[in-house]
Amino acid sequence: MKERRFDRTARRVLAFALGIATFAAHAQTGTASPSPVPPPEEPTPSSPPPAVPPPEATVPAAPPVSAAAESIYAAARPGLLQIRTLVEAAGRQSSIGSGFLVTADGLAVTNYHVVSQYVLEPKTYRLEYARPDGGQGKLKLLQIDVANDLAIVRLEGTDLPHLSFDAAALADAAPRGERLYAMGNPLDLGFTIVEGTYNGFVEKSYNPRVHFTGAINPGMSGGPAVTQAGKVAGINVAKRLDGELVSFLVPASKAAALLARAKTEPALDPARSREEIDRQLVAWQGDFYHALGEQGFRPAALGPYEAPESSAPWFNCWARTNADQTPKPRAQLDSTSCSSQSSLFIAEDIETGRADVMHAYVKSVDLNPFQFAAFVSQYYGAGSMFRPWTRKRLTQPECHEDFIERADGATYPVLRAVWCARAYRDFAGIYDVAITTVTQDRDREALVSRLSMQGVSYDNALTLAQRFVGEVAWAK
Amino acid sequence: MGEVMTGAYLGESAIWVEVLSRHGDVVSRQRFTSTPIAIGRAYDNDVVVDDPHVAAHHLRIVRSDEGVLTAEDLGSRNGLYLGRGRDKRSEVALDGDHDLSIGATMLRVRTASFAVPEEQLVIRGLRFWPAAITCIAGVFLLAALDLWLSDTTEPKAIRYFTPLLIIAGIVVVWTTGWSVITRVFRGHARFGLHFLIVAAGMLAFSFYDQAAEMGAFAFSWTALTTTSYLIAWILLGAVVFAHLLAINPSRKPIKLGIAILIAAAGISMQTLRQGEFRSNYGQPVVLSRLEPPALRLVSPQHDAAFFVDASKLRASLDKERTEEPAGGDVFSEDSDD
Repeated sequence: MKERRFDRTARRVLAFALGIATFAAHAQTGTASPSPVPPPEEPTPSSPPPAVPPPEATVPAAPPVSAAAESIYAAARPGLLQIRTLVEAAGRQSSIGSGFLVTADGLAVTNYHVVSQYVLEPKTYRLEYARPDGGQGKLKLLQIDVANDLAIVRLEGTDLPHLSFDAAALADAAPRGERLYAMGNPLDLGFTIVEGTYNGFVEKSYNPRVHFTGAINPGMSGGPAVTQAGKVAGINVAKRLDGELVSFLVPASKAAALLARAKTEPALDPARSREEIDRQLVAWQGDFYHALGEQGFRPAALGPYEAPESSAPWFNCWARTNADQTPKPRAQLDSTSCSSQSSLFIAEDIETGRADVMHAYVKSVDLNPFQFAAFVSQYYGAGSMFRPWTRKRLTQPECHEDFIERADGATYPVLRAVWCARAYRDFAGIYDVAITTVTQDRDREALVSRLSMQGVSYDNALTLAQRFVGEVAWAK
Repeated sequence: MGEVMTGAYLGESAIWVEVLSRHGDVVSRQRFTSTPIAIGRAYDNDVVVDDPHVAAHHLRIVRSDEGVLTAEDLGSRNGLYLGRGRDKRSEVALDGDHDLSIGATMLRVRTASFAVPEEQLVIRGLRFWPAAITCIAGVFLLAALDLWLSDTTEPKAIRYFTPLLIIAGIVVVWTTGWSVITRVFRGHARFGLHFLIVAAGMLAFSFYDQAAEMGAFAFSWTALTTTSYLIAWILLGAVVFAHLLAINPSRKPIKLGIAILIAAAGISMQTLRQGEFRSNYGQPVVLSRLEPPALRLVSPQHDAAFFVDASKLRASLDKERTEEPAGGDVFSEDSDD
C-alpha cells in the first residue's frame, strides 16, 4: 500500500512538471506575464500531491461544516462512490476518483479522466467502486464524453440511493453566489464534503466549465457538487494549481445529456473505446475549428504590419516585450500570444484541443541584416510544435517550408513559411499542426506569426492556416 | 663456370645484392663480380644476414650456363620465397624486379645492366608555408565572419577568441601528428606540406558550409544544410588520403581505400545518430538559420501551392502512424480509417 502511494506520488510530480514545461515553452514564445499562465486546467486525477501529511493530521484540517452541510452530507452520502482503477494483474489500485449514483438501478456519473486508464487500456486495468457503507464491486463502463470529461458507469443493484440534478443547473441558470457543496473522497482519505460558492461559467473556457470557489482535491474528481437542496449542480473536475480555491465543475446539463445517451444507446465496447474517443475528438475539433473560423480573425497592428488575432472569446492573451532586458537587447521584440482555453485531457501523456496564436514584431536596434535574420531564426522553426512530444503517442513531425507570395503583392509582403504536422498514434484523423511565417520585405524588421492547432483534422488545419496566412499584411 | 657466357651477359656484369628493410628501403648493398654468392647468417658467407630466422647457409646465387641468375635454397628450415608470396621455392630465377624473402629478411639482386627509371624532376623553390598560411587565414576569417553574422547578443571578444583558438589547436595537433608519422617513415617531417593539406581541407569545408547555409535559404532547399555533414566526412577522407600520399606516394589503392572507409564510416555513423535523435526527440527538420531577405534567389510559391504541398505530408504521417501504432494495446489497430 505504502509502495503504491509513493509510486503514484512520483507520477503526480511528473504531471506537474509537464505543466511547468508547457509554461516554459509558452514563455519562450512570448506568453510570459506577471501572473504566470498556468498549465491549462490541471485535471485532478486522483493521486495524492507530493507531500501528503499523515491522514490523522488532515482530517481535522477540513473546512468548518455548517449545520446545513451536515444534513446535506447525510442525505447525499449513500449515493456517493469512490471509483478505483485497478491494475488487472496486481489487483491493486492505480488511481482513484469519485462518482455518484443517479438512478436506482445503478447508473453513476464520474469524470472521463477518472476512468481514462481503463478506457485506453481495458486489458491492463479494471474498474471497481467502493461505497461509503463499505460495499464494493465491479463497475461497467457505459458511455464517455471526452470533451466534457464525463463518463457513465453502472454497478449491479436495485433500489439504490441516488442523487438527482438541480433544475436550475440543468437550464444553466443557477444564481451566482449560491452555496454549493462538493463531495468526494480526496486523496483516498474518506468521503468528505466541502463548502463553496457557485461563480457562474468560466468566461474563456470553450468547453463549458463552472467556476467553483472551494477546495477540490485529487480524488474528488467525478464527485457531485450539490445545492442546499441536495440537487446536483455540477461534477467536480479540476482546479488551478496557481490559485487558491479556484476549482471547476462540469455543468450538470452535460452529465444529464450523457446519462440520457447511456440509457438509450448500447454500452461502449471496451475493445473499441479508442475508436470512440477518436470519433469524439474528430467531432469535437470539427465544431471547435468551425467555430474558430466563424469567429474569424481581426487585425492587430504590430509595427508596420497587421497580424490576425482570433476574435473568439475563449482565448487568453498575454503580451511580452524584451525592452527591459539587461544587457540592452540588440533587437526589440514585442509579442502577443493567445491560447485557447479548450484543452482536452485524454491520458496522462495525451493532451489536445488547444489552439495558439502568436505574433512577434521584431525590430533591429543595432543588428545588421545577417545578425537580424539570425535573431529572428530563434522564433522560426525548432520551437514551432507543441511540447511535450512522446514517441508512444505522436509521430515525428513532417515539415514543409518555402517562400510564399499572395495574389496582391501591394498589400501582402512575401513570407517565409514553415508548416509542421504530426499525427497521433492512438487516433486516426487528428493531427497537431503549426504554421509559422516570417515577413521577408525588410532586412531590419520582421513580423513572426504562428498558428498552432492541436488535435485538428488535416483539412481543417489547411483551411484555417491558409486563412491565417492570408491575413498577415502590411498595415493600411 | 661463368666463363662461357654469351650475348648481353658477356663480360664484366657486376651483381648487386641488397638487403632491404621491411618497408623496402635498402639497408645494405654489396657488389659482386662473380658467382656463386653465398648468403646466410654464418660468417663464411659472402653476404652475412643478422636475422635469427635465416639459416647459417641459407641461399646461394648462381649464374646458369645461359647467363640467367638464379637463387637456390640450400635446404634451410624457413625456405625461400618470392617477394611476399606464400609458395616455398627451391630456386628462383632473378629478374631484378622481384624481391627475395629468406627468414624475415628481404633481399634484392640486380645486375649492373638493370634499367633504372628516369630521374624525377626537382621542383626548386616549392614552398608550402605561404599557401598554408593563406588557407588558414581564410579559415579564421570565415569562422570569425560566421560568428559575427550570427552574433545577436552583447558583443564579447571571448566568443570569437575561443572557437578560433580551438581551430588553431586542432590544426597544430593534427599537423604535428602527421609530421611525426612522416618523419618516422620517410626521414623528414614535411610539416609544411601537411599544414597545407589540413588548411586547404578546412578552407574548403568553411566555404562549403557558408555557401550551403546561404544556399539553403536562397534556394529554399533545407537539405543543403542537413546533409552538409556528408561533405565534411568526404573532405576528411580526401585530407587523410592526401596526408597518406605525402608520407610516400606508393600503394595508392590501399590509401584511397582507407580514405573511403573513413568517409563511409563517418557518414553512416552520423546518419544513424541523426535518425536515432529524430526518432527519440521528435524535432522537426527545418531551416535552422534565416538570412536577409535580399539573399532569396527563388521566386516565392503562391500560397495556394504552398498548402497543396503541405497537404501532401499527410500521407507520410498516416503511413508512419500505421507503421508504429500506439503501443500497449492490441485494439489500436482495429480502427477502420
